[in-house]
Amino acid sequence: MKPLFLFIFGVIAVVTAQQNEYCYKSVVQACSHTTSKLSSDTLPECDAKYGAINEVVGDLQAFATTHISRSFEYLLMSTHYANYQKNRPGFEKLFRDLSDEKWAESIEIIKHIAKRGGRMNFRRWKTDERKQKQENYELYELESVAKALDMEKALALEAHTIHDAVSRRLEKAHDPEISSYIEEEFVHKLASNVRKLSGYASDIYSFLKTKDSSLALYLFDNYLQKSL
Amino acid sequence: MKVVVLAVVFVSVISVSFTADLQCTHKKVDVPEEWLSMVDPCVKKMQDQIQEEMRAAIQYMAMGAHFSRDVINRPGFAKFFFDAASEERQHSIKLISYLLMRGNLTENVSTLLQKRIEPATEVWDSGISALRDALRLEAKVTNKIRDVIKVCEDPQLAENNFNDYHLVDYLTGEFLEEQYKGQRELAGYISTLDKMVGEHGILGEFLFDKQLLG
Repeated sequence: MKPLFLFIFGVIAVVTAQQNEYCYKSVVQACSHTTSKLSSDTLPECDAKYGAINEVVGDLQAFATTHISRSFEYLLMSTHYANYQKNRPGFEKLFRDLSDEKWAESIEIIKHIAKRGGRMNFRRWKTDERKQKQENYELYELESVAKALDMEKALALEAHTIHDAVSRRLEKAHDPEISSYIEEEFVHKLASNVRKLSGYASDIYSFLKTKDSSLALYLFDNYLQKSL
Repeated sequence: MKVVVLAVVFVSVISVSFTADLQCTHKKVDVPEEWLSMVDPCVKKMQDQIQEEMRAAIQYMAMGAHFSRDVINRPGFAKFFFDAASEERQHSIKLISYLLMRGNLTENVSTLLQKRIEPATEVWDSGISALRDALRLEAKVTNKIRDVIKVCEDPQLAENNFNDYHLVDYLTGEFLEEQYKGQRELAGYISTLDKMVGEHGILGEFLFDKQLLG
């Protein structure tokens, strides 16, 4: 009984090992003198893909393009606060920092897609992103913070969707590396951004109810300048 | 009926108490305008250039993405192009800052940048073909800056014969300086790489890539 058990175990081990040797097999084939010339420029089966990257690469591409778009939008919001009539350097810095953050993240997402063997597609946009027309970014203080809060929440939910997809929502799609990356790079940071902006909205809302909201906004802008 | 009327009154009271006291907008400021000297054709050219620099940034980002791929594996080229992308974005922001300093961009800011900018090309045959494209792109940007200068220093285009010396000096001293240095660097890279790949093919590109990594 024991030898039979060992034999079966051995066969399973060999089969499993062979299943994981796609790249090795293609190398053996490529190096074999009897094989005809290789048709591909790259070594077949030797890319960096494994796990569930194929299932979410489209979502990651759209996540990167959304970040690029947000970096432009925040830059325009920042620009509005930097004109001599608005003259709110604190708000200018708040939105400029967010623009810089989104730009840097877009490059990081592109690098991560490449790290997992994927390819960036700059023409991949979220459907609602493609439909949206150019919006108004010349907003009052409370409006702009409200808009930023909505934008950060939407990004957080986009991150959740990717996390969800690689956590076995899609059949056989399990990729702890991608879910961990999404958690470490986005989920925590976006939660902080959302909390910060929600706090600002709450403060500004109560200031706008006071008699001299103009002075309150000036002081709040000073606070933003110093705290950011 | 009574219930409906009561409900309507209740909702109106709520909405009034929610909005009535909130002072979201403030008075229009009274600032003399004599200091606002930039003229429309020049401002328009500058605004176009802001978008142009951002287009260049996205094109460089696509180059960075291409050379980051596992099957391309040229991290030095990728780093060089990603850095160039962020540099072009900084140029765009510097132009915005200049217009703000001169009292512009108080309106129509929302259309300054398109929300979606896509690169013209996303795939290259080799490192040298991407560097050649980069040099062509830089030459195009340089010519566009020269076009801005031409419009901004032409008094005949302005209603009040205004020659914008300061802006022209800024564009010439800061932007063109950087453009010419950048172009020379790229031309040098292309020249070295061309010789290396001419003799040593793919090994030349491999070695040059590691040099770009620093």
